[in-house]
This record gives sequence, structure tokens and C-alpha cells, in this order.
Amino acid sequence: MQQAKPKPGILDKRAEIIAGLQAILPERAVIGDNISLKPYETDGLSAYKQMPLAVVLPETEAHVVAIMKFCNLHGVRVIPRGAGTSLSGGALPMADAVVIGMMRMNKILDINYADRYAVVQPGVTNIAITQAVQDEQFFYAPDPSSQLACMIGGNVSMNSGGAHCLKYGVTANNLLGLRIVTIEGEILEIGGKQMDAAGYDWLGLITGSEGQLGILTEVTVRILRSPEGARAMLAGFASNEVAGQCVDAIISSGIIPVALEFMDKPAIHACEDFAHAGYPLDAEALLIIEVEGSETEQSEMLARIRDICAAYHPVSMRVSQTAEESAAIWKGRKGAFGAVGRISPDYLCMDGTIPTSELPNVLKRIQAMSDEYGLKVANIFHAGDGNLHPLIMFDANDAESFHKAEAFGADILKLCVEVGGCLTGEHGVGIEKRDLMSVQFTPSELDQQRRIKSAFDPAWLLNPSKVFPLSGLAAAE
Amino acid sequence: MQTNFTAAQLEKPEIAVANNILRTCVHCGMCTATCPTFVTIGDELDSPRGRIYLIKDMLENDRAASQEEVLHLDRCLSCLSCMTTCPSGVDYMHLVDHARVHVNETYQRPLTDRLLRGVLAQILPYPKRMRAALNLARLAKPFAFLLPGESMLIKRMRAMLNLAPAKMPAPQSLGGTVHKAIGRHNGRVALLAGCAQQAIGPSINTATIELLNRLGIEVVIPEAAGCCGALVHHMGRHDEALEAAKRNVNAWSDGAEYDAIIVNTSGCGTVLKDYGFMLRDDAMAAKAAAVSAKTMDISEYLLKIYEPTSVPPDITVAYHAACSLQHGQKITAAPKTLLRKAGFKVVEPKDPHLCCGSAGTYNIMQPDIAASLRRRKLDTLKAKSPDVIAAGNIGCLTQLAGDGIPTVHMVELLNWMAGGPKPAALNGV
Amino acid sequence: MMSPDTEDALAEIIRTASGPLLVQGNGTKAGMLRPVQASATISTANVAGITLYAPNELVMSAKSGTRLVEIEAALAKAGQQMICEPPHIHGENQTIGGIVGSNLSGPRRVTGGAMRDHVLGVRAVNGNGEILKFGGRVLKNVTGLDVGKLLTGSFGTLAVMTEITFKVLPVSEATGTVVLSGLDAVRGVAALSAGLGSPFSVSGAAYLPHEKKVFLRIEDFASSVKYRTEKLASQLAEFGAAAILDTDASKIFWRDVRDCKFLDDAPAMWRLSVVPSAGPAILAALAPLGVTGFLDWGGGLVNLSGPANEATHQAVCDAARAVGGMWWLMRAPDPLRTAVDVVPPEPPALAAIRARVQASFDPRGILNPGRLRAA
Repeated sequence: MQQAKPKPGILDKRAEIIAGLQAILPERAVIGDNISLKPYETDGLSAYKQMPLAVVLPETEAHVVAIMKFCNLHGVRVIPRGAGTSLSGGALPMADAVVIGMMRMNKILDINYADRYAVVQPGVTNIAITQAVQDEQFFYAPDPSSQLACMIGGNVSMNSGGAHCLKYGVTANNLLGLRIVTIEGEILEIGGKQMDAAGYDWLGLITGSEGQLGILTEVTVRILRSPEGARAMLAGFASNEVAGQCVDAIISSGIIPVALEFMDKPAIHACEDFAHAGYPLDAEALLIIEVEGSETEQSEMLARIRDICAAYHPVSMRVSQTAEESAAIWKGRKGAFGAVGRISPDYLCMDGTIPTSELPNVLKRIQAMSDEYGLKVANIFHAGDGNLHPLIMFDANDAESFHKAEAFGADILKLCVEVGGCLTGEHGVGIEKRDLMSVQFTPSELDQQRRIKSAFDPAWLLNPSKVFPLSGLAAAE
Repeated sequence: MQTNFTAAQLEKPEIAVANNILRTCVHCGMCTATCPTFVTIGDELDSPRGRIYLIKDMLENDRAASQEEVLHLDRCLSCLSCMTTCPSGVDYMHLVDHARVHVNETYQRPLTDRLLRGVLAQILPYPKRMRAALNLARLAKPFAFLLPGESMLIKRMRAMLNLAPAKMPAPQSLGGTVHKAIGRHNGRVALLAGCAQQAIGPSINTATIELLNRLGIEVVIPEAAGCCGALVHHMGRHDEALEAAKRNVNAWSDGAEYDAIIVNTSGCGTVLKDYGFMLRDDAMAAKAAAVSAKTMDISEYLLKIYEPTSVPPDITVAYHAACSLQHGQKITAAPKTLLRKAGFKVVEPKDPHLCCGSAGTYNIMQPDIAASLRRRKLDTLKAKSPDVIAAGNIGCLTQLAGDGIPTVHMVELLNWMAGGPKPAALNGV
Repeated sequence: MMSPDTEDALAEIIRTASGPLLVQGNGTKAGMLRPVQASATISTANVAGITLYAPNELVMSAKSGTRLVEIEAALAKAGQQMICEPPHIHGENQTIGGIVGSNLSGPRRVTGGAMRDHVLGVRAVNGNGEILKFGGRVLKNVTGLDVGKLLTGSFGTLAVMTEITFKVLPVSEATGTVVLSGLDAVRGVAALSAGLGSPFSVSGAAYLPHEKKVFLRIEDFASSVKYRTEKLASQLAEFGAAAILDTDASKIFWRDVRDCKFLDDAPAMWRLSVVPSAGPAILAALAPLGVTGFLDWGGGLVNLSGPANEATHQAVCDAARAVGGMWWLMRAPDPLRTAVDVVPPEPPALAAIRARVQASFDPRGILNPGRLRAA
């Protein structure tokens, strides 16, 4: 993947820049030696690597303001990083950029149950929000698979989803307010603690903007009361087509499960090996369906769903009977990406979205591509909302294998767009899909978006090699 | 994840092993979230993924360890929480073990650091020396606050003194003893008597032996068996660790037939269970593997045979899961099951996966991080209002002691409910 | 007035416009926020019609001039509905473009999300006359900046939307409403909070001060509605005995809440979005000024009406500002709407960015100038 050219003069001033940052930040908040910078050269998409100029680890909003003012003054590019779990390379550094790691801003500032919100710093992990409120039976709804590690700042920047967004929506639907620091070092309060904000929907624009517009320093999320209970069921089918038809039938019946997940055979095997959840190894496709409510409600709902599934001749059907069983079922699904690491040294995780009805067609064509490229693929699909995660398995120590995987991935995403979907449902464009943006957008659509970025970041110092094809950066400069 | 080793490098067996481990890692970052040092320090370099990357770079470039790598590797507690979390099954333990050997071989530590490590390696594994040292420390303890300054050496000295018990228990020397089963004969086991444990927690071995005997199990402590080698192993002192391992493997393979080798200090148990790997290229590989296979934590062993006989008191026990037990040996339910079976109300702290900061000599070598982890653990334990804190590892018990709540090995509680004496720590509860 | 039939024709009009344009659908919201001074009016009324409806995928697309009632009828035929139940406070002629452009949501917003939460994709013409599409027809999409959300609620000041794709959901089999009586506003909102903090998926939470009554809605399968309303009523026993409305009565009641039927026809009307617990204090502070209203969204949406003058408006703004909330002047005579801040003013740093963003869409400043704020 092509990186943007370093800005003239910046690399030469590296020592000066590091010293300048050290002067405005506490001890051990600036990393500038090459050995220590090395682990920051990549994120959850380890196929792409680039050593940064320096890393800074602010502890307060005041630190962030100071860093931004410094970088703006010296024309230094800034790349925000949370837990570094991005699967699209959102935190990939640039040679002339300072990586601003938000991990130390990890405090929960306020929790209000009567008004149902929590105010947290960006370095709080997704699951930590739920953990902080679960004693009161509340939770924070979006649950990306990496929720254990990924941080809310990254979730907001990528507008992360998760397995349960069929019912509860994605990050954007669960936010009330933000504080961001602009490249000029101005603090903007966006939204608040109330539901609707007047004027333009800055909250909606900034959510999912991948660090292009500012650095988050505070996030106000909605918290919800947990349901009385939840239970998952597994239904294995003889083919992807049949499983896809069954998904359609469930939605058409007026039932919206809280989660409706699909796995194909290679994914079933990888996950079962990791979680021992009792996934049916003889099925070609597996649906994980979860419902919520009281015991009776769960049973009634699952009975309806079982009846629907039965019409599609499942090879196996099992309703979890205990909380442990449900937890094991989800452990398998949520650990799916890592679990593929057990059967292949490396994988690329795609994140296209397709109209649900296209699933059988798309899976068939992905299989054909898999044969053509000679690379195996496992498919995990948020069936309720059309978000497809093909995991392309390759060997990173074999350059040809990697290039094939990249090309295979691009073909899958082009296919997603072709059938009416999009390049990314929840992982973000990052660096990975940057050059495919022109498949989905016309030049004037891209220009409009670039102009919005310029309105926030006139000199294009914020994460500038991501999201937009590099011609945008060149034009801005 | 991609690695860049040359074919020549890969011919070295330990590099081949490291390469295989590194290839399993997909760099997903899940491990960062449950790593005590990342949670405390908030720097990728103090996370498992960051350390894996530092190690990878160091090994790939065949580079001597530098101050930066050593800093972050030293800060690793080896709690292995990351291995519980890792969905890809990365064998972090053996990777970091190897890295520590590499550090030991290629890095010259500052003099005070070397001296301290040398002293610890010369004292801790030997019960008599340990006892003598503790007696000295006990006398010096009231003056710990007089140690001037905040240099790392001073902090380490202070930490060491603070760990010394205020009252020394009676000496224990179990080497070469056999303890017959009482009433019935259901089996025969070897017990690892431990080194530091004999000096500072002799009641743990006593309770273990009593309980096993009463359950009809004969307990043998071969003369030749000694320290498990964990301490030097975690310092990267490869040869000393192997020496300890060989000595023990021989002691337990010496003609006598044991149903199991029982460990009541889970930190040691993790190492015993790794003898097979440590000695994989040695002539005694098969014997070592057999010893590892026979090693059981006391809670594992008791699970099937434990029967309480006393009326349970109304006592709430906060179970603190030692990392070596929950992550190193993946034993999570057995201790709680046993304590509940004995009639105690069992509670657990929030974030039970996080280390208490003990971690062998970590609380001496990294006093700041250890103190912060200790505080966090005690706060979460106390939030559950327990009468007593129980764990299966002497290190944790020492680390968590002295904050107002008695700490006791769970086997002492089990023994109490099966006819043994009430643990001394519980007087007043 | 120009009412082009196609997107292309609409784009051509904008491209060649020589001065400011009043942008509207059927103009039903002309009395809301600020009046626009424009030499010409462009309407989307004839760019109309449902273009895609895939009930299995929970998605519909319609050209922006399509009347909301038409959309609602088509959805109802398939047993589905708009999730945020947009209010019909501006009559039956309003278009989907008008609802999305003003981001108006009804009672279900409290847990189901606002109009902006359900917009999946838009086609629009910016101030340069360029036809642009953002988002798509799939439920999850984070490709590029979320311009669809930016346009939602922008009142035609950035671009003229020509087609909108949005998420829909099935109509629940049954609806039930738990009614608690004799509660003052503070206790009433406490009851609403308790209801929304219950595990029963409350989908509407309103308080009527003149009746001193709390209303909590549950929508689900019939057996669940029965179970949940009863369980909820018993959990809220501390607030007094509950009455339960059946499906038919509930539907009528919540339609009236949606359409603000509980407001009188005083000349001025406001909509305030605040933290729910702040609702009662706002009602109490404004009552002496002859401003009355009711609470929705668990107390967080304060619908008000009262005298149309600057002092009263200022008092309403102050009440909202005091609790960090937002306001919209929904109805007032033109002179008042021209003179005051119809929405909260922006701090300077944000105002500068807003001006640049606006210029990035509409460099000539010809689309609905002054609709939200004085230019």
C-alpha cells in the first residue's frame, strides 16, 4: 500500500520535534527511540507497517490541546490511536507523523442512571463501560467482537458495530455527546447529554470520521437497561443458500432477534476449535440467533424461530439451556477472527456490506474467487444487517500470497458494491480500502467529503493518508 | 503475523520455536486489555502484544537486548493472563521465557541490579538461607521508613523489608520425610514442599499433609527434591533453572511410584508442568514429560476426594485466583468448588483475571507497579466484604497480607473443615 | 415557484440559479425556525415516488418529494413502519424530504432512535448543482464521512435532497400503555426514568402536566405486551395504581403525543431537548409566563406553546441553556423568528467550522440562506 510522501523538512527536524514534545508533556509520555517505536508501527492490520516519527501518550485533555497546537504550529501530521485493534489500518503511522495514543485517558468520568448516560474518556475499553454499569443492570449496547480490548475513542472514530446492532444500532445510534480537540487546539463540545442537538448533526458527522476531523477527548454514551435475560440458539443448515433463505424468513415473520449471525463451514470449524461451544461440524452454514426477554418470552420467541428454521430442514438445531452455554456460543463467535489465526498464520478480514438477499450469490462468487486465487476463505456474516466478514487466509511470509490476498480482498469489496452494498460496514476505510473509495464514490462525491475535511483540518494534518485516495492529500497541499 | 528470520537463524532450535510462536500471533490486540501492566501504564510497550513485537524485532535482528527491551520485559509479570485471553493460542510463556534467556545472555545489567538478582537467586530457593535472611529483615523492618530517597534500589529494599513477616513461624524441614495415610490407604503422592514456603508459610504444608493423610493418602517428600527453579527461570538464568528441573525430575522418578506430584504453591506448579518442555532436548526428556504429566495442583487433586466433616462456620471467603493457577494452569473452578463444598460462602473480586502484583520476585524488583496492582486487588477484594482472603499461592498471600483482612491458603480452610485445626490467621474471625 | 420533475432538472436549476433559493417540499414547515429571504422558490414536490421497498431487508427508498402519508401507507400494507414515528404537526402534506431535512422524531425516539439514526443513504444536489449520493441501501455503512447524517436536520441549507433511503421495522403485534395518575412533574419523570430503567423495552415515555399522568408504552408480541405491561405496573407500584391501555387506545393516545395534540394553539411553539430529569424544572419555570406544554422522551423532550414575544422566547432559551439543553422555535410570527436565535447559537470555533462546511456544499450561499441562523 502506497504511503503519502513525507512533508518536506519534517524528517530532518525529528530531534527538534521530539524535544519540543518532551518539553510540553510529562516524563515517559513521548516515545522517540527506534526500538520503542517499533511496536507502534502497525495495528490490528499487521500486514501494513510504517515506523512513526514519534509516539505521544497524553493523560489529559490539556495534553491533547498542547500536542495539537504544537503539531499545527510545526506542520506535523498527527495519527490518533486507541487500542490499536483496527482491522483497516486506521492507526497505521506515517514516517513524518506523531502517533497520539489515547490509552492513558481511560477514566470513567460520570454515570447517571436516571438520565441514562455515561461520560467516559476515549481510552476506556468498550466492555469497561458495560462492566461499570452492570451492577445496576445497565449496559452499553454496541459490542464489536474486539470489545474486550478496543477503546470507545476508536469505536466512535470507526462507528463500530457488533453482533447486537440489529436491535440496538451501531455506535452512532448510542452516542449523545463528544468533546473533540481540533488541529488548531480548540475544544469543541458536540451534542451533550440530551437526545437531539440543534443545528447540523456534527455528532453524526464526526462519528465514523476516522480521525480526520479532530481528536476525541470525551465521549457521552447512552446506557440502556439490560433485558431480563437472553438466550442463543444454533441452527445448522445443509447449504449457505438455505441458511440465507431462513434468515429472510425470520425477518419477514416480523421477528427481529437481537442478533442473527451466520458462519460458513470453515468459520464453524475454526471457532469450535477455540471455544468448544458445540457448533455443528457437519453443517455447511450455521446461524446463531439470540432473543431477549423473560424466560417465558425467550421460550416463546425461540419456539417461533425453531418453527421457521424447521421449514428449512436444519441438519442440527440447539437452544442453549444455560448462561454458560450462551457464553460459550458467543465466545466462539467473538473470538472468530483470532480463531482463524489457529488455522492460518495470517488473514485479511474484509468488511463489506450487501443486501441480505444477495448473500447466497455473493458467497458463491467468493468461493469461485477463492478457487481462482488459491486462498482459503472463512465467512462470518452479521446476517441481520448484511455485514459480511470474509477472512482471507494467507501466509505473510510469502509475498506472493499476500499480494494475492490483497487482490482477492479488493475483488470481494468491488463485488459488494456491485450488488448494491458498500466497502465497509463497521471497520472503516482506513488505509486498507482507501484506494477502493473511487469504486463506491464519484470524483465529485469524494471532493465534497474532502472539502468537509478541509473545513476542519485545512492543512490536512489529521490522519491524512487514510480514507481518501492520496490525490486528495496532494490537492489539499 | 509476518516474521523475518533467515534460514540460518531458523536452524537454531530455540529460534524455530520462537518463530512458530510469533507466526501464531495475528496482532489482534485482545491481550492488551487483560494485561495488568498495560491497564496500569497505558503503553503498547507494556502490553503482551508490544512485548511480542519487541522480542520479534530483537530476535530477527540478532540484536543484544537493550535497556528499552529489558525495561518492558522486566515489567512483564509472567501472569499469563494474555494466554487466557488470546484467541489464537499464542504461546507467550515460552516466548518470554526465551527472551529472558536472551536478555540474560546479552545484556549487562547495572551493578546494583545484578547484585540484587544474585542475592535473591542465592537466598530464596534455599529455606534455611531464606529463614536467616528473613530474620535479619524482620529486625530491620521497623526502620524501613528510614531508607532515604526514591531511587529504584531503595524502593526495592523497602519492598523487600515490607514483605518480611513481623513474626517468624517455627522452622520447617520436610525433606526426606514420609507421612503415612491415616485409617485407610487410597493412594500415594509426592509433595513439592517448596522453598520460600517452608520458611514463611509452613502451616500450608502441614495442612496439606494432614488433610491428605486423613483422606487416606500417603505423602512423600523426597530428600533430593528442592526448589522448582521458577525463580531463576523467570530471571532468565537458564542453566540454573534446568539444573533445578533435572534434580527434581530425578528425585521424583527415583524408583518410587507416585499417583501424583502435588503442588500447593501454584507458581511452582506451572513450572513443574513445563519441565517436559524445558527438558525437551535433554536425555531425560521422557522422564521430565512424565513428571509434568503427573503434576497436579492440590485443588485439582482434592476435587474428587475431598469430604468435609465439620459444621461450616458462617464465613465469607474472597477467593483470589493466583495467576499461575488461573492462567498458567487453567485451573479456575476447582478451588471455588472445594471451598463451597467445605461450606464457605465464596465471593470473587471484580477483574479476577488481574494479577495482585506478587509474581515471584516482581514485588521486589518492580515495587511501584506491584504496589499499584496490590492496591487495586485489595480494593476489589474488600468491595465484597470478605472475612478472609484465600488463594492457592504463597506469593499472593504474602502480597495481600497486612491490609486488615487475614489471608490464608485455601488448603488450610479445607483442612479445618475436615477435622484439622482452625488456621491461626483466622483467630479473631 | 419551480417544481422540477427530475433530479437532473432540479440540479440544473440550482446550477444556473442567480440568487438565493427557498428550498422546500410542500412548504409545510415554512413557519418553523427562521424565514428565508429568497428571490425564488424551488420545491421537490414533483420529485416523488417510492423507488425501492425490500421488506425482508427492512429498507425503503423514496424520492424526497414523496408525501409521508404515502410512505406510511405503503409500509403499513406490509406490516411495517417508520421507526421514529415522525410527528404530523405540520399536516398531512409534509414530504419525506421535509421530515429528514428537519430531523423530526416522535415518541419512539426515546429508545428507537431519531430520524437521523435511520437514514441509510441520500441523493442530493449541492449548491454547485452537483448530484451526489452518500450512504446506500444497507443497514451498516461506514464508508467515508457520514454526509447523510450531516444533511439530516440541515433544513436544506447544505444541499437539496432528492432521494432518501431509510431503515424500517415491523409494526408490533400489540401495543400497551401503563398509565399512572396523580403525579406531579418531578414524580412523573421519576416514574418515567424507572420505566425506562426497567428491562421491559419501553418505547414511549410521556408526561402530561395538565392531567398529572405518566404514560409508558410497550410494543411487542401480544403475549409479551400483556406480560410486560403488568410486570412494569407492579414494578412501579410505588408511584400508585396503574391503569393499562389496550392496543387501540394506546395507538390513539401515542398518535396524539406524536402530533403534540396536547399543546394549545398559542402563537409560539417550542421544542426543547434536555436531560430527562431537567424537564419538570423547565415546565415550572415557564408556567408563570403563560408557557405550557408536556414532556415526551422520558422528560427529555419538552414541547411548549405560549405567547410570541422576545421576552418569553428569551426565558425559554434561558431555561434550556441553564440545563445544557437545546431549543427550536417551532412556530411564531415572522418578525419574532427573524429577530431571535431560533436554535442555540454556536461557540466561535464551531461557527467558523460550520461556515466553512456550509461553503464546501454551497459556496454561493444560495440554499435556504438564514434558515437556521441569521447570515
